[in-house]
Amino acid sequence: MMAKAPLPDGRGSEPVSEPRASARGFLDRRRRGAIILETAMWIPIMVLLLVGMVEIARFTYTYYSLQKMLYTIARLVGTGQGTNFCSEQNSVTDTVNFALNGGNAEGQPIIQSLQAAQIQVRVERYDAASGELAQCECSATGCDTEAGGRPPDYVVVSIPDGYPLRLSIPGLNLDPIPLRPQVRVPYGGT
Amino acid sequence: MAIRSLRRTRAAPAGEPSPSRVGSRIHASVRGRRSGAVSIQMLVILVTVLFGFMGFAVDLGRLYLIRAELKSAANSMALAAATQLNGTDAAQGTASTAAQTARSSSGGFELRYDFGSTPVGGTSGNFGSVVEEPQFFETADGATGLEGTGGGAAATGTGPMRHVRVSVTADAPTIFWRFLQVGQEGRVPIRVQAAAGVSAPLCVACGIESLAVAALDASDADNFGLLAGTRYTLGYNCTGVPQPAALPGATQRLAYLLINRLNDAATTFADEATQTLRIGAGGLPGSTVETRSCVNVNAVESVWAAATPLQCNQNRVAAQVTGLLCGLASRFETGTFSGCENIAEIDSALQGTQPDTDVADVEDYTGYTGNGRRVLTLAIVDAITDPTAMTVLGFRQFLLEPVANSTNITPLDNNGRFNALYIGSQMPLKQGRFSGCSISAGPGKVVLHQ
Repeated sequence: MMAKAPLPDGRGSEPVSEPRASARGFLDRRRRGAIILETAMWIPIMVLLLVGMVEIARFTYTYYSLQKMLYTIARLVGTGQGTNFCSEQNSVTDTVNFALNGGNAEGQPIIQSLQAAQIQVRVERYDAASGELAQCECSATGCDTEAGGRPPDYVVVSIPDGYPLRLSIPGLNLDPIPLRPQVRVPYGGT
Repeated sequence: MAIRSLRRTRAAPAGEPSPSRVGSRIHASVRGRRSGAVSIQMLVILVTVLFGFMGFAVDLGRLYLIRAELKSAANSMALAAATQLNGTDAAQGTASTAAQTARSSSGGFELRYDFGSTPVGGTSGNFGSVVEEPQFFETADGATGLEGTGGGAAATGTGPMRHVRVSVTADAPTIFWRFLQVGQEGRVPIRVQAAAGVSAPLCVACGIESLAVAALDASDADNFGLLAGTRYTLGYNCTGVPQPAALPGATQRLAYLLINRLNDAATTFADEATQTLRIGAGGLPGSTVETRSCVNVNAVESVWAAATPLQCNQNRVAAQVTGLLCGLASRFETGTFSGCENIAEIDSALQGTQPDTDVADVEDYTGYTGNGRRVLTLAIVDAITDPTAMTVLGFRQFLLEPVANSTNITPLDNNGRFNALYIGSQMPLKQGRFSGCSISAGPGKVVLHQ
């Protein structure tokens, strides 16, 4: 009962509550430490999961936007009139630029740092004999409509080198992943 | 004060069992169990709640992405198929082929899904996708599933199929949701449908053959007094007597005029006869200036200035009309036709043209198996008696026929005559717009529904 010696402040007059209080305080500290340790163990995993989740969602969203953008370009090009795919100055470039910034040249581009040069518009011609599609050459027998060629049959829009997207996860240095969506639509213009 | 008392407690000699030590031992054992319990709790929370939420971010995102990719793939296939719906018996077969062609892997540009990793219609590991055979419908409501069985089996109507529905089914892999009730097998099947078809009648038709034919009966909104399935001789309009006779095989001659679509800004193929040759060979050439490549309903058109009708007894036509017929002849065969050599740049102008795949004399349009090269879309006008004021009433289509006992038309016909089968409004046009008129019948263009 040494520890239970009455204290000058008179708290010793409560002999039952004193040991309980001290015991609880002592154990709380150890338990708290264990929880902190466990939390410290979990935090990297949790952060990795949460950040990874956000980054994968961003990855998906970017791919979705790219895919949508390419489809829009393909449909716009595919329904255009008087489009000559073989000349330097053609409406394809305008269409691509329109898709990149949504028609607002000064505004924020829809996808960061995506350049018009990265987007490839390829025209294809259906070969009835082989039943295959082949790239339509820029010639009078091909798709050079200025020189007397016929319009193409299909338009393919793609990003041949991919749009590089880097997943930023703390503690990991990841290489950029090239996103390569591609779209083919039938050409319905004149 | 509590801390001080605690310190004193801890300073107590070892062997003495103090109440606090007893409590500590009890708690130590509880703590051991508790620490494991926290991890289990975390695991339980992780799997159910966190994995559920991560499923929303990762799996649901991927699911939507796959659906969008499949949808655009189905759209392309439906559009490609609908382009072939020209009202013939062979149309469904060619349309099905076209739908498959749209996803062909030539050049490595097949339609893909799941971040572009898997070809549509192909399989990757355990995950597969199936492109069903396109279904054909007479009406747009049938194709979009608003009519009848609500998207059931293909309609088995008797009329020409004007609309097509393409369905694609694919498995979307799930990573986090496979631990939950949804997507337990690690996959969620996604089904998308795309419907395309021939649109309502166009008011502005582009890329057509810009010939004006007078309506036999302007009050007949469906056929302007023309009889579907009847072979007519189309001859260039001339004045006076004697009016040229119909060609063998036809009983009636319809007079036509070249609508003025002279492109005086043209730098290549500037010659007028070459320009009409190109119109004859493939319709109005595409242009960024709509008035050059299109014809509007209700517009007042005039005749090609250099091809005004001549006296019938002169028994000849302008060089522009011969150019047109030489162009029409290229729809039957390649090469230069005798008498057409004098047209400037004819070789390079016709270099890219291909003859029709079916050049036979066709009695019944439904038996035609070609690729539509021989189908002419002409402007029907109120009258051609005044060549400077012809009001366009609509557009109708004719199938170009070879001359009797021949494989081609006669490009050098003195009266600009050729035979053509009236087919109504069968082939979808290349391009056009809807605004600016109210017509109940006529050719449409290929559009996506919904």
